Amino acid sequence: MLIPLEPIVISDLLHASPTLDEPRIEVNSLGKRYGDLQVFKDINLTFREREIVTIVGPSGCGKTTLLRCIDGLMPSSEGEIRIDSDVVRKPREGVSMVFQHFGLFPWKTVYQNVAYGLKLAGVRKTVIADKVPYYTKLVGLEGFENSYPYQLSGGMQQRCGLARALSMEPSVLLMDEPFAAVDAQTREILQFELLRIWGMRPMTMIFVTHSIEEAVLMGDRVVVLKGRPSSVFEVIDVKLPGPRSRETLAHPRFSEVREHVWSTLMDEVRAAEFEIER
Amino acid sequence: MIVEIFKKHQMPRLRFLNLDLCAKIIAGIMILVIWQIGVALFAANFVAKPLSIIGVFPDVITDEVFIEATAATLSAVIKGLFIALIAGTIVGVAMGRVKFFDRLLNLYINGFYTMPMVAALPLLTIWFGYESNARLATIVFAAFFSIAMSARDGARAVPPEYLEVCSAYRAKPYHIWFDITVFSSLPYLIAGFRLAAGRALVGAVIAEFFISLDGLGMYILSHTRSFQHNEAVVGVLMLIAFGLTFESTMNWVMRRYFPWYRREGRGA
Repeated sequence: MLIPLEPIVISDLLHASPTLDEPRIEVNSLGKRYGDLQVFKDINLTFREREIVTIVGPSGCGKTTLLRCIDGLMPSSEGEIRIDSDVVRKPREGVSMVFQHFGLFPWKTVYQNVAYGLKLAGVRKTVIADKVPYYTKLVGLEGFENSYPYQLSGGMQQRCGLARALSMEPSVLLMDEPFAAVDAQTREILQFELLRIWGMRPMTMIFVTHSIEEAVLMGDRVVVLKGRPSSVFEVIDVKLPGPRSRETLAHPRFSEVREHVWSTLMDEVRAAEFEIER
Repeated sequence: MIVEIFKKHQMPRLRFLNLDLCAKIIAGIMILVIWQIGVALFAANFVAKPLSIIGVFPDVITDEVFIEATAATLSAVIKGLFIALIAGTIVGVAMGRVKFFDRLLNLYINGFYTMPMVAALPLLTIWFGYESNARLATIVFAAFFSIAMSARDGARAVPPEYLEVCSAYRAKPYHIWFDITVFSSLPYLIAGFRLAAGRALVGAVIAEFFISLDGLGMYILSHTRSFQHNEAVVGVLMLIAFGLTFESTMNWVMRRYFPWYRREGRGA
């Protein structure tokens, strides 16, 4: 469902930004431990302006934890994270997160859920009344403003979660396995919808996923986490032509990168599958 | 699997309902017939019988004394429940969300919840006098603790995902309290409130027994003592009717104003 939209004013963003290649987000020798369990260590990454970086790794490798640290939801144990050269200590303005569990409040309608982030940010009601319909429409939920989450499919719920994140007009969007809880076909549709929306208003996006296909399809670069405790094993420059679409899936480079990531991770994935609780 | 088969062979909905209703009516009539015959055969003349109750029912219902008694009791119950609901929710949510309050109060809230409120009644009458204030205090006392306890449990059971979203969007504590915790613990609050309503009604009647206060309890007591059992039973029926009305009002309010509530538990 493609909806014609008035373009957002992004010209300022695009042109008044000489710092395109300067890192927006820096992760410096980051480590996280829970008691004796070291989840990851010595992570060094940089994320640039308007770049989509995907993070893959076997389950339990701490990719979600890493994302939570970048958002400031969780303190790291070692190292530091800087966004625009400020050290991250708690969630900050301009950074929005989309959750695997959608994070919608069942007692709020779509409209109220989308508006809630703005409300918490202290945005005036009249502004909220302008923005919410715009973003609801952008994610294709027009006409469902008064529905409750229980009335929506998983895909629609995540569209709502996405609208809430986008309505904050973030310059950094953190995606925590956003499509892991929706069915395979819906997931494909949502991936291209997200790319379409990103194309309208590009921002730095860090996308955590356990799907290798998704990582390669979405990412300008793919970060592969591996090891126990995990660390960055490889950063792959995907170099697929944009904008990405269904044709991308048939591109020889796509399967090349996918196979490469898969062979890198296979041993670890197998080990993770047979892991028992310690 | 079994459910599927059952659904396939289910009778049309309307007929099924009617059958259900018929069974209920038949059971009710049987109970009344057994009661009528049993009392007529074996009990003294003044013992209440269904037919005699029906006979006095119009007179009692229109009797000014009865109406005033009903109004006195029920308005006290509603007032008391309201106070207990507000106070209990605030205290319970505070305990559930702030560890310090929980440590401070948990033992006492639990203790008072366990204590039969009849036992505290003599004390309450001394503190509040032999008047309607003592009844109100008893009702609040009876209802408050179950509401506070369930509000506390509900506030502790707020799913971590909600709190995570809140901190990601930099919610202030009062947002977490009033936008999230209260709604998220609604199922607990309702369970507590239902329990509280029952306890409040008991509290009101006992308080009236104890301090001879005009009200439904007193109406039942005095008519029983003067061998007007049929009239007393009408008073009891009134209390049952109140309980049922409360229950169905709650259901209506939930459906009307919290449509998401029933669907939520099914797990989407």
